[in-house]
Amino acid sequence: MRFAPPNPLRIADRASGLNAVSVRSYNERLVLSLLLQNSSTTRLEIGEQTGLSAQTVSVLVRSLEQEGLVAKGEAQKGRVGPPTVPLTLNPEGAYSIGISVGNRHTDIVLIDFVGKIRFHKTLPNPQLAHGSNHSEFLETIASAVKLLPDAERERLAGVGLALPRRLSGGMDEEAYFKALQAEIEEQLGIAVFVQNDITAAASGESMFGAAKTLSDYMFFYLGADLHGRLVLNHQIYNGNSEVSFDVGIAALERDLSAQGKEVDPLWDRSGSWPDYGALVSDWEERLIAQMRASLHGVGQFVEIETVILSSYAPESICRDICRKLEAAAPQIKAIAGNIVPAPKAIGAASLPFSSRFMVSGN
Amino acid sequence: MRTILCYGDSNTHGQIPGGTPLDRYTLLQRWPGVLARELGKGWHIIEEGLSGRTTVHDDPIEGALKNGRTYLRPCLMSHAPLDLVIIMLGTNDLKARFGQPASEVAMGIGCLIHDIKELSPGPDGTVPEIMVVSPPPMLDDIKEWENIFKSAQQKSHELALQFEIMSDSLEVHFFDAGSVSTCDPLDGFHINAQAHENLGVALAREVEAIGWK
Repeated sequence: MRFAPPNPLRIADRASGLNAVSVRSYNERLVLSLLLQNSSTTRLEIGEQTGLSAQTVSVLVRSLEQEGLVAKGEAQKGRVGPPTVPLTLNPEGAYSIGISVGNRHTDIVLIDFVGKIRFHKTLPNPQLAHGSNHSEFLETIASAVKLLPDAERERLAGVGLALPRRLSGGMDEEAYFKALQAEIEEQLGIAVFVQNDITAAASGESMFGAAKTLSDYMFFYLGADLHGRLVLNHQIYNGNSEVSFDVGIAALERDLSAQGKEVDPLWDRSGSWPDYGALVSDWEERLIAQMRASLHGVGQFVEIETVILSSYAPESICRDICRKLEAAAPQIKAIAGNIVPAPKAIGAASLPFSSRFMVSGN
Repeated sequence: MRTILCYGDSNTHGQIPGGTPLDRYTLLQRWPGVLARELGKGWHIIEEGLSGRTTVHDDPIEGALKNGRTYLRPCLMSHAPLDLVIIMLGTNDLKARFGQPASEVAMGIGCLIHDIKELSPGPDGTVPEIMVVSPPPMLDDIKEWENIFKSAQQKSHELALQFEIMSDSLEVHFFDAGSVSTCDPLDGFHINAQAHENLGVALAREVEAIGWK
């Protein structure tokens, strides 16, 4: 029997802000991961899925409640046995900022703990400076932080920065991202998480979007180019290969320009394109051919049943492409992503959440 | 049928504020009675409250029988198998004669938790669910009890935090009774009928939230 003083680690830290990253236990992350995956769960379900005892779950949930990350719902009565009390993530429990540098614009979003967009702004792309990893990133991030009301700033989990491969200028992407992260964090004092933009988009779709319940799928991002990521057992494989194909919106733009059509609407976030008629259908054919080729290649090693297509292009276009892909490849279920209007920025914003609150592999 | 043992002091016994241990709220008014009403069929609630009960101390004045630790084990054996043991003690440990800081009172609660775990009076010899309830803080004016509880008022405010630290450390359920009830001004450390009602209802919700299969 142990009569040493109790270890007050978990609850003595009662600051109203968020606990430091390092003290969050694996089990707390496990509980938060379950809540991120299911919009509502109960202590009983948590116990069943984690194998933790009711008392242990109770201690973890109480600590997460006190920190404001988890909220308790009304007891559900009327079923056989005792009523169950649903638990949900508290949307106001944590915030995150996501910045994605795109082909033409930079999107900045502020999301809450359940992935709802609280603010969204589109800015011109920041310019890179010589002798530094960044220049205007700092201003961009500072302006994003200013989007958050003062009272909620201490609940900011961090900033996620989604960058396209071309920004590393041929350098080793991982080393470049690490250096950039360190430089920004040092100057800003906020945790910054940097990742490849396509990987970030996949992680957003997996945390908040259409892929929430999927563990294995092929992820396509339709931007200026078409990009792909393979997701197996919730893990997004971020390989080194140059996986992008020139059949994206930039290719459509070239077709349209050649016909003297107006192309600006292709790049805005309004969610609708003018009726370009057959030009779009032709482009879609090529796009689908490329997606099928990719699926065929991957299919030699892994059986792919589901495809997620994410884009800021209008939802109707994405659904159309998915329908046509399913028609051409009947063994595939194709689902249009539902993270709009800036999937990469929201994906970027999911990075601080996954790093700080989730167990890896989810 | 699930069985809950409510193990406490005069505030579990149902002693009326300003009265003696013989002045007692009715069975249905006392918080274990309210808990039974709220949980409804399928639950058996055992009320085990004793005025003056401490966590682990033989009381040099009131007698060794007030020691919550020596009576707990036979009590658990009497009523086993138990699905849940609720412990609400601590106020009597703050009497000047014991000279204990709040953290030591929590250590006493820790002893009781260890004893329950060791005895394992749950179904099929398992450890039952254990819930620690910290008593509501005493009021500043405790009438003729002032000398008996010399300087206990301040410490009583620290019980909730110290009990919660102990509960977290030993991984058992915890509830702060001070979050739903207060002591009555008639003597400053007993809870009245309304507080019993509030506490019984709140504990029923906590018991349900445990997540029973």
